[in-house]
Amino acid sequence: MRAWKAAALLNLALLLGVGWGYVFWGARTARLEQELRAARGAAAAGVERLWQVAGVVRAIVPEINVLVITHEDIPGYMPAMTMGFRASAPKIHEAVAVGDAVRFTLQGVPPNVVITAIEKTR
Amino acid sequence: MIALEVLVRWAHLALSVLLVGTAVSILLAGRSDRPTALGWETRMLDACRGLVVLAFAAGVAVLLLQTALLEGRRAAALDPGALRRVLLETRGGHVWLVRHGLLLLLAAFLAVPLDVRRRVDWRAARGETALLGLAALGAGAAAGHAAALPGALAAIATDTVHVLAAGAWVGGLLPLALLLRRAGRAEGADARPLAVLAARRFSRLALACVLALVASGSVIAWAQVGSVAGLVGTAYGRLLLGKLALLAPILALAALNRRRHLPALGGEALRVGRPAMRRLARFVAGEAALALAVLGLAATMGFTPPAAHAEPDWPFAFRLSLETLADAPARAARALVGSQVLVLGAVAALAALVVRRARWPLLGGALVVLGAGAAIALPPLAIDAYPTTYVRPAVPYQAASIVAGAARYREHCAVCHGPTGAGDGPGGLRLARPPADLRAPHTGQHTAGDLFWWITRGIPRAGMPAFGATLAAEERWDVINYVRALSAAHAARNMGPTVEPDRAWLVAPDFAYAVGPTPARTLKDYRGRRVVLLTLYALPGSRPRLAQLADLYGSLTALGAEVVAVPTDAAPDALRRLGAAPRILFPVVTEGAADIVAAYRMLAAAPHAELLIDRQGYVRAIGRGAGLAAAEPNALLAEIQELNAEKVPAPAPEEHVH
Repeated sequence: MRAWKAAALLNLALLLGVGWGYVFWGARTARLEQELRAARGAAAAGVERLWQVAGVVRAIVPEINVLVITHEDIPGYMPAMTMGFRASAPKIHEAVAVGDAVRFTLQGVPPNVVITAIEKTR
Repeated sequence: MIALEVLVRWAHLALSVLLVGTAVSILLAGRSDRPTALGWETRMLDACRGLVVLAFAAGVAVLLLQTALLEGRRAAALDPGALRRVLLETRGGHVWLVRHGLLLLLAAFLAVPLDVRRRVDWRAARGETALLGLAALGAGAAAGHAAALPGALAAIATDTVHVLAAGAWVGGLLPLALLLRRAGRAEGADARPLAVLAARRFSRLALACVLALVASGSVIAWAQVGSVAGLVGTAYGRLLLGKLALLAPILALAALNRRRHLPALGGEALRVGRPAMRRLARFVAGEAALALAVLGLAATMGFTPPAAHAEPDWPFAFRLSLETLADAPARAARALVGSQVLVLGAVAALAALVVRRARWPLLGGALVVLGAGAAIALPPLAIDAYPTTYVRPAVPYQAASIVAGAARYREHCAVCHGPTGAGDGPGGLRLARPPADLRAPHTGQHTAGDLFWWITRGIPRAGMPAFGATLAAEERWDVINYVRALSAAHAARNMGPTVEPDRAWLVAPDFAYAVGPTPARTLKDYRGRRVVLLTLYALPGSRPRLAQLADLYGSLTALGAEVVAVPTDAAPDALRRLGAAPRILFPVVTEGAADIVAAYRMLAAAPHAELLIDRQGYVRAIGRGAGLAAAEPNALLAEIQELNAEKVPAPAPEEHVH
């Protein structure tokens, strides 16, 4: 075989190797990204979700049936913050007072979630 | 173990570099049909074959050693499972596989007999050899220190340029010397034109490579060393200095070869060319020997932690600092005069480069003037320094550390330095030299490492005892953080409730806090995001102001500000005590309040105090008593808007005092 052909073939093989590696890693990254999107999409796609969340009651607004709670991370929905949540029934807030550390159940199709149960933790 | 690691890495690097250099120099010399030249080329190709095998073997040794080191046991070097883990699961392993795959390919390519009689075939075959060698050498950069830097891609590219330039230049010296020696013999006359051509081409390539090496080396040094202390105080920095010290004679030899010996090859007669060629061969071989030593240092640097990540051990008893001139006009004047003399010297040195006729007298004069300028300008800048001067504090500047340091301070330091750090403690009265006033601004001239040295070793001539045996290292750093807070508090005593535009100097100590059962947050979390109004409150006096802030909260949030309220009594049921009305929705600290109050009371001693902290983490305004502009709520919004409008924010303070 002519030497230049051998060199050209070798370089072609190397290029193919680099290209294959690029495509392989690219495909892997794309798959991971797709999984991530799918996981995120599940929250938005209208699936009913349920969380148990710890927090502390900051305000109660009985007129509109809302509790404002400083809460921990709600995985897949929102990070820790102070936020108002509607209660599923008007009587729910009666068990707690401002300043209470609580554990509550959040249920619904994001972003329409309500507190279905709440209890003091100490 | 370390000696072994240096040895195998050196061997691997040197063999790879020689391989690249040999392949490149064959290409550089070009094809020739003269017997002597052909003989040299055959020898060089044989050398390439041997070098590939040896480099591969050395690479295997490096891998085995690395595996043993990673696993922490010697037997792991021969354990197939451990080797598989290192090869398949670490970045270094992946890069190793790629590089040694390329070396295997190269070995196979060199083993196949190829017909290279035609020019295109010769070029393809020799070019391929060089290409594979360069790729195998350059790929190593992807697993070096550069890969750990932020913006790794650019750093890896810089490292690749550095190692490839080194490979082409350093590796090519020895093959060139061999060619010159062969051609310098009486029977090698037929190869002499080729040798002269190769030497000239190589000289041009070497110049380009040296420029690339210096440029890429400077970039790498800036990223990996970054400071004078790192250069002279760490193993990595000292290795770099060693490399530079070895580089100087190499460059001197190279300059001599380029200016004297290379032109001498141009002589027509045999008499002129031959001795010059042999002399050049000897000098080039000398360069190569020195360069091999540089490669050893480079290989050692490859597994030494970069200076930027090591604690520098300052070797001198002094350092130079412009801060010494702050309040000393006489010294400042002397430094200024000296700097002008230095400029004069620099101009003379530049002139010496340009003016050809009076070069040497001019250069001598310039050196004398430069020396005189340094002698005038530098002494006023000198300030005492210690081995730990540039050590980074092990404990960040945080409220908890300041509080811990305050306890240690009361226990050990207050007796002489006084309860407030004024240097007026009863124990200090009988000392010959009064204890230092820790609140004075001059403490800003000393690094945290200076204070660490004094606290650890004491200051014998001033009567300060050593606490190295009494206090653990962390406790000493706590004390230093407290002393820094003392000094900052003294400087901040006149800071008022209005923001001074573009003057950010008072670093807000970081702190951690939590509201109820939620995860802990830190002040630093707001860095770059929010202006923080840190409010230390005491009920019932603060209630009207808290109600006002609760009312304003919507506007404050809209302006990008957060209110963090801290009960000065650190009550765990602070939220309950605030009650349901008014509705207070900003964070009220229920955990971590005690440390925050103790640390920030130093800056603002009042039952109710407010501190406005900008997005870079500097305290910009302090309201004591009624709070920041309590009478006029809009004034607070105006201050925040002032901060929002600042165009050039101050750089964020370092996590540690300095």
